[in-house]
Amino acid sequence: MHISPFILFWAAIFTSNVLLTNFLGMCSYLSVSREMESSFGLGIAVVFVLTITCALNWLVYYYLLVPLHIVYLQYIIFIIVIAASVQLLELIIERFTPTLYYTLGIFLPLITVNCAIFGVALFMIIRQYNFLQTIAYATGSGIGWMLAILMLAGIRTRIKDKMIPAGLVGPGISLIVTGIMALAFVGFSGIVNVQ
Amino acid sequence: MKQTPLEEKIAARMQPGVITLSGFLGLDERHYHEIIEADESVMVAYGVSAEEIADRLEYFTTSTYESFQGPVIIDDIYEVETEITRGKLPCPFSHPGLYRKTITTLTNLNTGVTLRWTGLNIHLIRAHHFFEGKGSVFRLDPDLLIKNIF
Amino acid sequence: MLLQIISDIGASAAISIFLALILVFAQKYLNTYGDCVVDINNKKQITVKGGNSLLNTLNDQQIYLASACGGRGSCGACKCKVAEGGGPLLPTEKPLLSPKEQQDNIRLACQVKVKSDIKIHIPESIFNIRKFVSVVESITDLTYDIKAVVFRLKEPAKIDFKAGQYVQLETKPYGKIKQTTVRAYSISSKPEDDTLVELIIRLVPEGICTTWVHNFLQVGEEVNLTGPFGDFYIRDTQADMIFIAGGSGKAPIKSMLQHLQVVGTNRKMTYFFGARTEKDLYLTELFKGFEHVFPDFQYIPVLSKCDDAGLYCARSGYIMPYIKEVLRDPQNTEAYMCGSPGMLEACRKELRNLGVPDNKIYFDSFG
Repeated sequence: MHISPFILFWAAIFTSNVLLTNFLGMCSYLSVSREMESSFGLGIAVVFVLTITCALNWLVYYYLLVPLHIVYLQYIIFIIVIAASVQLLELIIERFTPTLYYTLGIFLPLITVNCAIFGVALFMIIRQYNFLQTIAYATGSGIGWMLAILMLAGIRTRIKDKMIPAGLVGPGISLIVTGIMALAFVGFSGIVNVQ
Repeated sequence: MKQTPLEEKIAARMQPGVITLSGFLGLDERHYHEIIEADESVMVAYGVSAEEIADRLEYFTTSTYESFQGPVIIDDIYEVETEITRGKLPCPFSHPGLYRKTITTLTNLNTGVTLRWTGLNIHLIRAHHFFEGKGSVFRLDPDLLIKNIF
Repeated sequence: MLLQIISDIGASAAISIFLALILVFAQKYLNTYGDCVVDINNKKQITVKGGNSLLNTLNDQQIYLASACGGRGSCGACKCKVAEGGGPLLPTEKPLLSPKEQQDNIRLACQVKVKSDIKIHIPESIFNIRKFVSVVESITDLTYDIKAVVFRLKEPAKIDFKAGQYVQLETKPYGKIKQTTVRAYSISSKPEDDTLVELIIRLVPEGICTTWVHNFLQVGEEVNLTGPFGDFYIRDTQADMIFIAGGSGKAPIKSMLQHLQVVGTNRKMTYFFGARTEKDLYLTELFKGFEHVFPDFQYIPVLSKCDDAGLYCARSGYIMPYIKEVLRDPQNTEAYMCGSPGMLEACRKELRNLGVPDNKIYFDSFG
C-alpha cells in the first residue's frame, strides 16, 4: 500500500466517509444533530479522539500485540485503549483548560463507545496503513464525520418547523435525510479510487 | 385439567391475600370454571341473564349514591345502603380497570333476606358470570339473588 | 497450548492494568476538587466529595431525581434548578432545555459536575420523600372500628412533611397472606412532632392492610413507611376555612389543626364532622378543646342517625344544609375536605352553589 497520506486524507472525508458509506457512529450522530453548536463540538471531539486513539492503537498493535502474538485480542485491547485514553484526555482537559472543556470535553464520554472510533481503528489494521497513513486516515475520517453531522444538523434546523408526517418526526426523517446525503456522496466516488 | 398460563394466573389472583383478604374462592374446592358453569345453569333455569342481574345490582348501588349516610328505601320493598371505603380493587381476571371498594347491603323487606355485594361483584357477574366460590365472604348465590332482587 | 493461552491473557491483562493504573493516578492528581457544599432549597447543606455529576452526588445522599437514560444526557428527566456554582450551560444540555428553562437556570443534573460549592433547588416533594424504618409505639382504640397507631421513626429519625399529607404503609405477610401490601394513610400527627408519625386507621371489611393493623400489628414491631406524599395541605392565606370530614377522614384535619395551634392563627374556622351515630364519634374532646385554643373555631359533629337524647343532635342528617350557616364571605373561603366520594361530591356541589370558588376547594378523596 503506497498511497500518499494526503490523498488518503481527502478520500476519508469524501469518497469513503466513515458515516455516509460505512454508516458507523450513528447513535450520537442522530441524537446530537438537533443543533449546529453541539454538532460542531461533537464533531471536533470526534476528530480529536479519532486521531489520538488511532495513533495509540497503531503503536499498541505493531509494538505490543504483534511481537506478543496476541493480534487476535485486538478487539478487546483496542476498546480498552480507547476507553482509557478518552477518559484520561477528559481529565486532563477538564483540569487545565476549563474553557476547552465546556466546548469539547463534555462530549468525550459520549463518544467513548462510538463505533466510528473503533471502526476506523480496525480499518487501519485491515488495510495495513503505516503510521503516517493512519494519522491522515483517522483525521480525515473525523473531519468527514464532522462534515456529515454538521450537514444533518443544518438540514434538521431547517425542517424543524416544517410539516413532517407524524410517523417520521425525529429519527425517521433524519435517517431518510442521511440516506439521501449518502447517495449524494456516491457522486464523489470517481474522484479518487482508494480506500 | 390442564391450565393455560393465564388460567393459572387468574386462579393465583383469586387466592387469599392477593387482591382481597380471603380471596374469591372461599372453601370451594372446585376450579373457578366449574363454579361459573354451575351458576350459569342456575341462571338458565330461571331464564335470567348475568347482564340482567348485574344491571339490577348496579341500579341499587347507584340509587344509594345520593344518600351516603344511612339506608334508603327503593321500590318500597328494598332497604339499601352503600358504604364506600378508601381504595380500589383490580379484577382477578386481569381485566384492565379498577373497581371502587363499595359495599352495598340490601334487605328485601318482604322476605327478610339480606344480601351484600361490592362494586367488583357487579363486574365479575356481568363480564365473567362469576359469583365467587362457596364460603367466600362475598359469595352471591344466584338462586338466592334472583329470588330476592327481581 | 495452555501456556500460550495463559501468557496471552497475562499480556492483555498487563496492558489493561497498566492503563488502569495510569487512570487511577490521573484521578488522584487531576480530579481533586476537595469537599464541596451542596445547598438544597436553602434548607439543607450537605458536604460531598467534588468531581462527580450532580445526579450521582444527590443519589449518594438518597435524593433521587428522575433519570431514564442513566446520566448520558439524552432523556432530559433529571432537570433541576442550579442557582449558583453550576458553571456555564453546556452544549450537551441545550437541546433538551427550552429557552425559558435556560433563563431560569434549569440544568440537567447528570451533566453538571460538582466542582465547587453549589446551590440547587429541587421540588420539595422529591427532597422530602424517604423510606422510613419505624417502630410501633402505641395502638389506641378510638372507636369500635378505628384505631390510632403511633410509629416512632428509627431510620431516618426525622420526617419533614406538611400537615395533610400522607404516607404509605407496608404490611408484612400474615395469616394466609404471603406477600407484602402497600397502602396510603394520612398523617394525623402534627409536623412539629417530626420524630413520629400517627395514623388513624379504620377497619375496612376484607381490607388486607387494615385487618393487619387491627388484628395482627403489635407494639414494638418494625414497620416500613414511605412518604410524605400529596398536595392536600393548608394554603397560607387569610381566608376563612371550612373543614369537612367523615369516617377516618379526621386524620389530616387533626394534623392541620394541631399545626395551626403551634403556629397560631386568627382565621375563622369551622369543622364539620359527618358520622352515623354517636359511637362513631371520636377525639371529640380534642376538637371541642380547639374552640378555646383558636379565637374563632367551631366543631360541629353532624350525625345521620340520632336518638333524641343524644348530646350532638342539634344538627342531624347531612352536612350540606349547615354549611350556609357559617359562611361569611364565600369568595374568601377555603374548604378542606376528606371523606367518602359521595359526601365530598355532595358538599362540593353545595359549596359551589353558595359561591365558593372551585379552586379554593381542596380535597383528599378516598376514591
